[in-house]
Amino acid sequence: MTPSETGKKSNVLWNLFTSVKLTLGLLIALAITAILGTVIPQQEGAMELAERLSPGLVSLLSSLQLFDMYHSIWFRLIIGTLALNLIICSLDRFPAALKRFQATPKLDRSKPFDDLPSHRNFSAAGKIDEVLTLTVGILKAKYKRIHQKESEEGIVLYAEKGRLSHLGVYLVHLSVLIILIGSIVGSLFGFEAYVNIPEGESINKVRLRKSQVDRSLPFDVRCDRFLVEFYDNGAPKEYRSDLAFTADGKDALQGPLRVNHPITFEGITFYQASYGSMPGNRAQISIRREGDPANATLEVEIERPYDLPGRGGQFMIFEARADFMKMGPAVQMAVRPPEGEEVRFWVFKNNDLIKERFPGFFERFPKFNPGAYKPYLFSLESIEARYYTGLQVSRDPGVLLVWTGFFLIMIGLFMTFFTSHRSVWIQIAKTKRGLDVRVAGRANKNPVGIERELDRIASKIKRKVKKETPV
Amino acid sequence: MNSIILSYITFVYFASFMLYLLMMVMGKEFFGRLATFVTLVGLLGQSLAIVLRWVESYDLGIGHAPLSNLYESLIFFAWTIVFFYLLVEWRTKNRSLGAFATPIAFLAMAYASYSPTISSQIQPLVPALKSNWLIAHVLTCFFGYAAFGLAFGLSLMYLLKRREKPEGSNVFIRIIPESSILDDMNYQMVVIGFLMLTLGIITGSVWAHSAWGSYWSWDPKETWSLITWLVYAALLHSRMVRGWKGNKLALLSIIGFSCVLFTYFGVNYLAGLHSYAKS
Repeated sequence: MTPSETGKKSNVLWNLFTSVKLTLGLLIALAITAILGTVIPQQEGAMELAERLSPGLVSLLSSLQLFDMYHSIWFRLIIGTLALNLIICSLDRFPAALKRFQATPKLDRSKPFDDLPSHRNFSAAGKIDEVLTLTVGILKAKYKRIHQKESEEGIVLYAEKGRLSHLGVYLVHLSVLIILIGSIVGSLFGFEAYVNIPEGESINKVRLRKSQVDRSLPFDVRCDRFLVEFYDNGAPKEYRSDLAFTADGKDALQGPLRVNHPITFEGITFYQASYGSMPGNRAQISIRREGDPANATLEVEIERPYDLPGRGGQFMIFEARADFMKMGPAVQMAVRPPEGEEVRFWVFKNNDLIKERFPGFFERFPKFNPGAYKPYLFSLESIEARYYTGLQVSRDPGVLLVWTGFFLIMIGLFMTFFTSHRSVWIQIAKTKRGLDVRVAGRANKNPVGIERELDRIASKIKRKVKKETPV
Repeated sequence: MNSIILSYITFVYFASFMLYLLMMVMGKEFFGRLATFVTLVGLLGQSLAIVLRWVESYDLGIGHAPLSNLYESLIFFAWTIVFFYLLVEWRTKNRSLGAFATPIAFLAMAYASYSPTISSQIQPLVPALKSNWLIAHVLTCFFGYAAFGLAFGLSLMYLLKRREKPEGSNVFIRIIPESSILDDMNYQMVVIGFLMLTLGIITGSVWAHSAWGSYWSWDPKETWSLITWLVYAALLHSRMVRGWKGNKLALLSIIGFSCVLFTYFGVNYLAGLHSYAKS
């Protein structure tokens, strides 16, 4: 390959990436793929869809990463290409913009003063110095930098503002890159996880959302209490978890965690995300001995043995479930007779309902028979409910970059759309009949705005000249 | 009380729509001036009702800015579009956009007031919405939507104006400003909308970071707002760098506004985190 050929090749590539056609294509491609992602169920939602489709189709779709599109390789490829396109386009155009930004004003040009409308080319009476000072005074109100050049024929004034407007669009592009870098930093060095903490308990591990792997924390988090309040209409008013963060056995930070008010401890932030209830530590059991007329109702703690009434042995609940086999609350019981083998069986709360639905169920399966230990008949009155709080746990070191990008993009957009580089030339020439004033100018954007501005300056000069230099 | 006033405002905007149309069909300035007056009265009445609703929510002990559900957002959308339109009318001294802007406001008000699925009751804020970001986020988003709505109206006008024949057309088309002016106004409205949408996405993102623990979750509403942003970004690039004007720009602006509408309404049919904006 000859050097000129490689030059040509890189040129082709360079030309491709400097083309705004590519930008438009990529923006549209990104939009279309994003649309697909909102139509095809993603992640958890995809499971449901997968059950209804044929396995072949499912494996095809999932190999195309269509069920986790926003994290798929090809979606990232589009974003990456767009970023490259943005960088190369900006690099390609930036030098020219910088030149315009740094350009030194040329004062000895006659071109701007040709073909001016009559109201911007007028004669004035008075001395040239007087007209000059009042003109400079008018310009100074809006323009910081004013240059002046004197010659035989008269004076040329040049004023300008808004040079930065040339650079606004590059600031916008830079901000987009900063935001993208921030998101990459976040996904590389941060994590997103969740954890449920029952009231009164501590955790030091959280489950990562992406990989479903546990990640241990360098401290303990305890939930002392979870509180949910409702409005009169039943809508939730507030979710609150009273959390304590313990490091080295001491409570280092305590506080209420509410929605919209996250707590950060040692760089890891906790958010109130959900809640639920689970069986607590206590249950109410009623026991009847065959032949006895009355029930005995006991309030018992889980995993603690109790004596059966009438010295029939000891019983203990060692497991409580809020919903067991879709038949409602149940506890698993272990009864130890004075002599012999321990008996284990489940006791449901909805005994009557189960009997009605599945006649003979208890008799057929001794494991589920509340009368399995004779001559006693157990029934479950209630299981104490206990709240658990669901927390979102995350660390994102990229977030500061993202915020910076947000801030800069707004400044950049403002510079791009609402400022323009305005140049104003004013020529005050001596003629035989007095002075000839010409007001000209141009702007890189907003052509209507500069015309209005020039008219305003011209009429101001006219008025002031009339007032201060009476003929 | 406030919702009764607001339901009457629907008819006021319908009346102004009819008056702007009459002006366009008959070519009589009188109808135009009357239309402006009626629209202004509608806007004032609506502003009053919104303030009243705000005060009422405090009387109920659940005080919050009236920007918290679909009903309130529709009302605010109508308000911003009328407000923006009157501003444009005042600046440009041309009323023809009125015939395209007021029907949007009328439809939004009618949908809010008379759809059986939308409740006009003042509801308390659920925990996720209890944030100072609520006002900033909703305000910026809807200012953006309104600007895009006007750009959409201007695009329709542009496409109509293009059909004008040199030998003379009907009054309706003649009253519409020059196509170059329409093109320029369309672009300016898109610029304002784009700035506001960007700010809306930013405020939403910062809010999501403190409420949900992540500044971007690819929730359908987030994704669709990004799609909308991309479409308008494409429009701005095509204009600023490629110099596209006219038909192509008008078409892109129309596509952009359909994305806005989908972000606003269509997304409700997809599951997501923004569920409070549904009813």
